[in-house]
Amino acid sequence: MLLLYLAQTINSGLALGAVYGLMALGFSLVYNSSRLINFAQGELLLLSGLGLYSMTQAFSLNPLLAIAAAGLWGLMLGVVLYATTLGFSLRKHPLKQLMLTVAASLTWQGAAILVWGKKPLMLPQLLPLSSVRLGPLFFSQDTLTALILAMGSGALLSLFLRYTRWGRAIRAVSMNPLAATLQGVNPKKAYAMTFALAGLLAALAGMAVGPQTMLRYDMGLGIGLKGFVAATLGGYSSLGRVFLGGIGLGLLEALLILTLGAEIKEAVTYSILIVILILMPHKEREAVRA
Amino acid sequence: MPELDMTQTARLPNPDALSREAAPAAAFFVPLAVLGLLLPSYSLLAVNQHLLLAVNVLALNFCLGLGGQASLAQGAFCGMGAYLSTLTVSAWPEGAAILLPIIVAVVFVTGALISYPMEALGEGFLAMATLGISLIFTNVVHSLPELTGGGEGMVLHEPIALPIIGALQGDRLHYFLLLALLAVGVYLYVCMRGSRLGRALMACREDSLAAAACGVSRPRVRAMAFGLGAALSAVAGALYAHYAGFISPNQFDLHLSLKALLFLVIGGPGRLYPPLLAVLLLETALSEAQILGEARTLAHGLLLAAALLFDPERRLPGLESLVPRTLRRRIS
Repeated sequence: MLLLYLAQTINSGLALGAVYGLMALGFSLVYNSSRLINFAQGELLLLSGLGLYSMTQAFSLNPLLAIAAAGLWGLMLGVVLYATTLGFSLRKHPLKQLMLTVAASLTWQGAAILVWGKKPLMLPQLLPLSSVRLGPLFFSQDTLTALILAMGSGALLSLFLRYTRWGRAIRAVSMNPLAATLQGVNPKKAYAMTFALAGLLAALAGMAVGPQTMLRYDMGLGIGLKGFVAATLGGYSSLGRVFLGGIGLGLLEALLILTLGAEIKEAVTYSILIVILILMPHKEREAVRA
Repeated sequence: MPELDMTQTARLPNPDALSREAAPAAAFFVPLAVLGLLLPSYSLLAVNQHLLLAVNVLALNFCLGLGGQASLAQGAFCGMGAYLSTLTVSAWPEGAAILLPIIVAVVFVTGALISYPMEALGEGFLAMATLGISLIFTNVVHSLPELTGGGEGMVLHEPIALPIIGALQGDRLHYFLLLALLAVGVYLYVCMRGSRLGRALMACREDSLAAAACGVSRPRVRAMAFGLGAALSAVAGALYAHYAGFISPNQFDLHLSLKALLFLVIGGPGRLYPPLLAVLLLETALSEAQILGEARTLAHGLLLAAALLFDPERRLPGLESLVPRTLRRRIS
């Protein structure tokens, strides 16, 4: 009986953990390159998921087409977010940039209420997968979708950052924007690229989380904060560790639900975040922008 | 090299700074007091909600306006005051005069203790951590249904009863109570801004490294500002809870914190009356406009964005360049 509970816990933990991992990747991409805490990260997930929902209502999408549509829509949302927040406040005070992302978060949430209403919407399962049983463990369709989307995009992102010209530009700007500029990199393009990538990852996360928990207009800040917790657990710098931070957070939450109940788990998660932040102060480095 | 004029740089702030504040204070509070006397009693219910928000905005001004720390925990402190006073005063109705100061002290210490270790986090991380505190508060309230009523909230039957004055009841009385609280907050703010503590806070806001190098204990002064703001919010929450007769976690969730931040930024953090005016005017306009309906969140977001783009430091960007450079330097 206990084994069954544990298997269920691992199953649901991995399903949410993969989503948190994707959010955390997007979060740390933006943070590393521009030192900006993106409050609207969760709204990227919300709007891309809702957009995908409308697409599934209008057309019948096959799996590849669905991923491509979600990805493109997410990329576009990311660029729009960049253009309306950091894009024209590059030389402003960091607090002002932060507040602009808060404004974007409110605005996008308001737009979501106007277009899609306040009722939670169920995104259909878009990948044709069936649940798998491995000895005592089992993985449901939701879990497999989330894991495949997360690991696939994580691997592609890692290759992109390592081997392409644009990826190297992003890494150079993350290390030192001034030096990167002197080498001919346009940091603004790199910032815009990280926002677009964050949008893409959030869209895939939306695709994974939509069938699990449904999409609701007020889920953005909460899930964005979870991504932040995961990124903090992972330490922002390495893709693998940040993603593992997400998986770890998902498993921890599932374990907390099993032991303490669903209601108090959020409070425990956020308390852990605050303790970690205080014990290992990730002091914000001065944003040296070129 | 021009000689440094020591009398200029070392000049102390005007001793009658408080009397200089009298005129704007009168211009702000007298019309509000007149309004409170003229408005019909039933319409004061909505106005009192705006006043509650105004007190929260003022409370946030202590840590964001003076100390430069954007906090999203204001709603949690307000709710803490409301819940603590509901739970204790309904258990001991005659003891309100003793319980309320204790609650205020408890929330002050809580706020200060929360802020103290978080000081080193920097703006973005602090905002995230305080967002976490806001969510923790609503979650704890939700998860203790036998004590707090959970998501359904709880109904209060006990008004605050003070010795001599008696029970506090009625819309108009609470309007003036909240207004008086706002006035006390404004007085505290003005005193603090002119004091050594306030100057230390503003130094932290302008350049935290330089402030620390000049011997300012950043965690300590910021914890003080955070705690004062928290205490002010808690009083407002307690007053409002007994006035409304019903509290639920939804009243003190993230929405309240976000709104406080929103109106403070619209009015300009660090300025005293514009944010309060922004709350009272804009919030009244927004809640009266029935056309908006579901678009209220969108309107809030757009307002915040507009306030951020309209840089208060440079009201008229075109005019500045018309002034010759030498003159400009002399003016500044």
